[in-house]
Amino acid sequence: MTTTHMIVLPGDTIPASSLPISTNPNKALTLGPGLRHIPPNTIKATISGALTTDVRKNATWIEYNSGRYQPSPSDLVIAIIASSVSESYTCTLTPYAPPTTLPHLSFESATKKTRPVLPLQSLVYARILPFSRYTTPELTCIDPSTGKADGLGPLKGGMVFDISLAMARRLLAGAKGGVMVLEMLAEKLVFEVAVGRNGVIWVEGGNVTVTLKVGMAVQEVDRGGLGVEGQRALVEKVLRGL
Amino acid sequence: MPREAEISLNEREFIQQALRDHIRLDGRPFDTFRALELTFGNEYGVADVQLGNTRVVARISAEVTAPFPDRKFDGIFSISTEFSPMASPSFEVGRPSDAEVILSRILEKAIRRSGALDTESLCIIAGLKCFSLHADLHVIDHDGGLIDASCIAVIAALQHFRRPDVAVEGESATIFSIREREPIPLSILHHPICVTFSLYESGEIMLVDANLAEEQVREGEVVITMNKHGEVCQVAKYGGASVDALVILNCINVALEKVKGITKFIQSKLEEDAKKRDAGGLMAELSAENAR
Amino acid sequence: MAPQALLSHLHRADGSATYSEKGYTIIGSVNGPVEVQRRDELPEEAAIDVNVRPAAGIGSPNERHLETLIQATLRHVILVQNFPRTLIQVTLQVRSLPEEQSTGNGSAILKSSLMLLPHLLNTALLALLSASIPLSTTLTSTVVMILSSGKLLCSPSSADLVRAQSIQSVHVFAFSAQKSLLLAESQGEFDIDEWDEACELAEDICCKETGVAVDEMDVDGKPENLEGFLRDVVREKVEKEQMWKTAP
Repeated sequence: MTTTHMIVLPGDTIPASSLPISTNPNKALTLGPGLRHIPPNTIKATISGALTTDVRKNATWIEYNSGRYQPSPSDLVIAIIASSVSESYTCTLTPYAPPTTLPHLSFESATKKTRPVLPLQSLVYARILPFSRYTTPELTCIDPSTGKADGLGPLKGGMVFDISLAMARRLLAGAKGGVMVLEMLAEKLVFEVAVGRNGVIWVEGGNVTVTLKVGMAVQEVDRGGLGVEGQRALVEKVLRGL
Repeated sequence: MPREAEISLNEREFIQQALRDHIRLDGRPFDTFRALELTFGNEYGVADVQLGNTRVVARISAEVTAPFPDRKFDGIFSISTEFSPMASPSFEVGRPSDAEVILSRILEKAIRRSGALDTESLCIIAGLKCFSLHADLHVIDHDGGLIDASCIAVIAALQHFRRPDVAVEGESATIFSIREREPIPLSILHHPICVTFSLYESGEIMLVDANLAEEQVREGEVVITMNKHGEVCQVAKYGGASVDALVILNCINVALEKVKGITKFIQSKLEEDAKKRDAGGLMAELSAENAR
Repeated sequence: MAPQALLSHLHRADGSATYSEKGYTIIGSVNGPVEVQRRDELPEEAAIDVNVRPAAGIGSPNERHLETLIQATLRHVILVQNFPRTLIQVTLQVRSLPEEQSTGNGSAILKSSLMLLPHLLNTALLALLSASIPLSTTLTSTVVMILSSGKLLCSPSSADLVRAQSIQSVHVFAFSAQKSLLLAESQGEFDIDEWDEACELAEDICCKETGVAVDEMDVDGKPENLEGFLRDVVREKVEKEQMWKTAP
C-alpha cells in the first residue's frame, strides 16, 4: 500500500517517523526519486513534492509532476532519431536534452545487412539500458534476455501528443494509475498506443479523426486531473462527437 | 546553445494529412485566430499579449535626447526585439536567429516606416531636444505567431503609453514628472496590424495564425500588414512555395476582417483600462471646468 | 503586502515562476538539464547560465554583475554534480519596477541594482522548484536599509522610501533554509555593528523561527516570513498535481 505523508521542500530532513517500517529487517530501505542519503543516517529531500512510502516494498520517494524528463534505466521512451553515425543512431528524448545512442543492431533480428534504415526525425519506441551519470544513456529495441522486440521498434504513422510525466507514469502503471480513458474508448474505437516515460503518447487510429480524438482525450484527462467518473463523461462526449 | 528542436516525421505527415482533410489539430477553422488576451501593467506603456500559448510583453520607454542632426524636427523611435532563452533554449543572447531578424525587420516596416507614430510630435526644441521613444519586446512564451502577437503588443503599448508633459520657454525646457503633471498620450496616426498566412500544399491551403507545430510544417508564409481602413502597409513573403497574385488578394481581404476585429479588441481593452485608472472620477475632479 | 507567486505558467520552459512583491514583478524560467556547448561544458558538474533581462533596453554591465552574483549563489544550491556535462539555463525577465526605479526620481542608491537582487533570487528559486531541479536546500533573500537616523527598514515599499529621507546603506542577504548565510552584498557607509543588526533582521524575515508561530509575527505588522511563504506556494503546487487522486 502506498501512502502520502507530507509535503516537503528541498533540504528538508525526512524524520524517521515518516519512513516505512518494514516487517522484514533484512530488507534494505529503497530511496526513490527526490531523496538523497547523507551518511551516516540522514535522509534529505532534493525536490519539492509529496513524500510517498510503500511499506511492502520498503521504499520511499517524492512524487512530483513538473520539469524535464530525466532518463532512468529500464524506462520505456519514445525517441526521435536525430542523426546516424557509423554504428548507431543519435536520439533525443526531450527537446534540447543531451543525446542518447541507439546502436544500429539493437533491433530484433538485425544484422549488418538486415538492420532497419530509419530516416532522420522518425520515432522509435525503446527501452533505456543501465548507464552512469557520466556516460551517454544507451537505448535498445530488444529485450536483452529473449532477443525479441516485445513491441519495441520504429513507430510508423500515427501522431504523438505531449502529456505530463505523472500521466505517463500512471498510464504505464496499469489499474493503479487510475486512467481508464483508453479502455473506455477501446470499447467503441480501434487504435494502437505507445506510452513513453518521457511525457509522450503515440496514437495510431487508422484515420486522422480517431487518432486526434484519442490523443486529445488523454491530454484532457491529464490537464483536468479527471477521476474515473470524469473520464467516463469525457469518453461519452468524445464518442458522441464522432 | 542547443539546436532548435525539429518536429518528428510522424507529426509532420499527420499535420499535413489532417490539413488535407480540413482539420486543424486544435479544432480551429482555417481562418481563425487563437484566443487573444491583452492586459496592461500598472505603469503606462506596458502591454502583455497572449495569443494561445504565445506570450509577448511590449514596453515603451521615453527619454530626452538630442535629435539626429539631419532630422531636426523629428523625435526618435526605435524597436528592439531580442529573443531570450526563456522562449526557447536555442535562442542565444547576442546572436540573432533568422526568426528574430525577420521579426525585427517586419516590425520596422510595419510600424516605424509606415509612419504609425507621429515623430514630429516628439520634438521639444528643434535641433536641440526631443523625446527618444523605445519599444522593448520580450518574448515570454513561444508557440508560433510571434509576428502577429508582437505587432499587437507594440501597437497596444504605444496607445497606452503617456509621455511626460513639457513646458518650453525660449531655449530651456522643463520636463514634468507624472506626479507633477498629467502625462500626455502619443499622437498615433494609424494602427497597423500584422496577419500571417501559412501556406501548405503549394499554396492551396492557407492558415491564419499557425501555431509552432504548424509553422514548422509550412512551405511558405505571407505576412500582410494593414490598418482598419484597408490601407496595406507592407506585404512580405518567405519560403519556397510560389503564390498566385489572386491568392494574395484573397489574403488581403481576409486580413482586413481580422485587422478590424483586432483593432476593435485593443480599443475596448484600452477603454476598460482607462476606466479602471479613473476609479472615483479623479480626472473629472482635476478638470478646471466648473459644473454650473 | 505579502509577495505573490505563480508557478509553472509558461508551457515551453521546463519550469517557470512569476514573483511579485512591492511593485517588482519578475518572470523567471528554467530550462534544464539541456545540452551544453563544448566550450561551456564542465566534466564533473552542470554548468549554470543565468540571464537577467532588464525591463527596458538591453543588458548593461549592471545586469552582468547581477548575473555573476546569482550564478555563484545558485551553484551552491543546485546539486550540480547530479548532471555532469549539461546546462541549466535560468532566465529572469524584469516585468515591472516600482515607480521610483523606473522613472529615475529616487536617489542614486535606490537606482542601484542591489534593490533588484533579492527579487531576482527569490524568482530564480521558485522557477527551480517548478522545474524540479534537485537542490540541496531552498533559499530566501531580502534587502535591509539603514537610514541616517539609525533606523532599519526591511524590504521597503515605495511609500516607505518616499517617507525615509536619507538612506545610509543597503544590504542584501540570502539565507538557506538551515539559516546559513549564502550571500551578503552591501552598498553605502556602515560599521560592523550596523551590519550585524541588519543581518539579524534579515534572518528573521527569511527563515522560519522554530517555536514562534508565524501568525504572531503578522500581528506585529512585520512582513510575512519568506520561508513560510515558500511552503504555501509549494503546497498549492502539489495539491494541484495530486488532484486526480481525489477527483470523482
